[in-house]
Amino acid sequence: MAELMVETLPYKIADINLADWGRKEIELAEFEMPGLMALRKKYGTEKPLKGAQITGSLHMTIQTAVLIETLKELGADVRWASCNIFSTQDHAAAAIAKAGIPVFAWKGENLEEYWWCTEQALTWPDGSGPDLIVDDGGDATMMVLRGNEGEKNPSLLDAVVKQIDEIELLKRLKITLKSNPNKWKKAAEKLRGVSEETTTGVHRLYQLMEKGKLLFPAINVNDSVTKSKFDNLY
Amino acid sequence: MLAGKVVVVCGYGDVGKGSAKSMKGYGSRVLVTEIDPICALQATMEGFKVQTVEDSLNEGNIFVTTTGNKDVITIEHMAKMKDKSIVCNIGHFDNEIQVEELENYPGVKRINIKPQVDQFVFPDGHSIILLSEGRLVNLGNATGHPSFVMSNSFTNQTLAQIELWKKDFEVGVYRLPKHLDEEVARLHLEHVGAKLTVLSDEQAEYLGVEKSGPYKPDHYRY
Repeated sequence: MAELMVETLPYKIADINLADWGRKEIELAEFEMPGLMALRKKYGTEKPLKGAQITGSLHMTIQTAVLIETLKELGADVRWASCNIFSTQDHAAAAIAKAGIPVFAWKGENLEEYWWCTEQALTWPDGSGPDLIVDDGGDATMMVLRGNEGEKNPSLLDAVVKQIDEIELLKRLKITLKSNPNKWKKAAEKLRGVSEETTTGVHRLYQLMEKGKLLFPAINVNDSVTKSKFDNLY
Repeated sequence: MLAGKVVVVCGYGDVGKGSAKSMKGYGSRVLVTEIDPICALQATMEGFKVQTVEDSLNEGNIFVTTTGNKDVITIEHMAKMKDKSIVCNIGHFDNEIQVEELENYPGVKRINIKPQVDQFVFPDGHSIILLSEGRLVNLGNATGHPSFVMSNSFTNQTLAQIELWKKDFEVGVYRLPKHLDEEVARLHLEHVGAKLTVLSDEQAEYLGVEKSGPYKPDHYRY
């Protein structure tokens, strides 16, 4: 895996042949997602996200595909990964890849692959990071912040940690530190903001802010009433 | 079959409330565990018995964690559960259940039934069934949320991205303004056949709100 990091791939998914199936389900989902479709209609000509490079770290499902294509329609340049090793719907990822959007996600990643995918989503072909992050659980945000800390103080990447997810993150960051020692500093400087989907990620953001470790603004989407009182409940 | 089974829902926040209601709808008897007295009172008054995980081990058939905390279902719990209990998590991270401790438990045998379904047989012969290795069960063993509810979440996400791109924020954590929250809901009403009542000028003045909203103060909890 490690040597793959020097280049950026157009996408990495389970099977591009699933794209037509994915497309059919995306079209059905569009009918059930009137909010997103209304935004496309309202902002389709204005393109308020024109020029924005957006990384998404959020379950690569059919519904997320409709979000990705909405961001695209509003003018954004999007790259995507899942925020869970089991949550990708491979036919959704295939449809997104076939539409020419770089996506790095498949159902049943291992944790080494997971962080590789997240880093791919955070890395444009010129090596730079995103302007904005759509985060779910805070992993993409954490990769940028922990990477940045690790560049300033590499011993932090040798910390003894218990959680296997974190062990694999630190391994990934060490590999990148060798090949590209300023990557995350530059990424953190470029980032204009993060929008966070879920309770856990929001909790992490407030903790970071209290410790003075948050380096960019964040919008807590979870605590919109139309999010937590619906999505979380249902 | 869920009907007639005892489901232990750990946590009664937004996710726990939805899980408990759903399981009740399937005909299960639901027990709730909570650390927060407010949520515990809410659960009790919805008709759910609130007790500890320890006290539920000889009753529960299915254990669901929804807490956002770690070590909610411990290896000691799993070692004492009833035979073929199902254990799963619907909180964001997989540390709500002590999966590593389960995998490393002396003498435990792991049998993969199918992808994201594993049976762990303890040396005493009883076993538990772990779904999605303790990761988000709705996405690991099913295909996540329906489109309509995700449209609400993702409309918020898209509006947040536009805000961040168009405006200059200081470092900090913000929420979307209430008029955008109301707008998200408004965009979804027609699809489900709802027609809003419109305030008269007098009514709006009486409440002290604009006719076009926002209708509630920020501290209102819905």
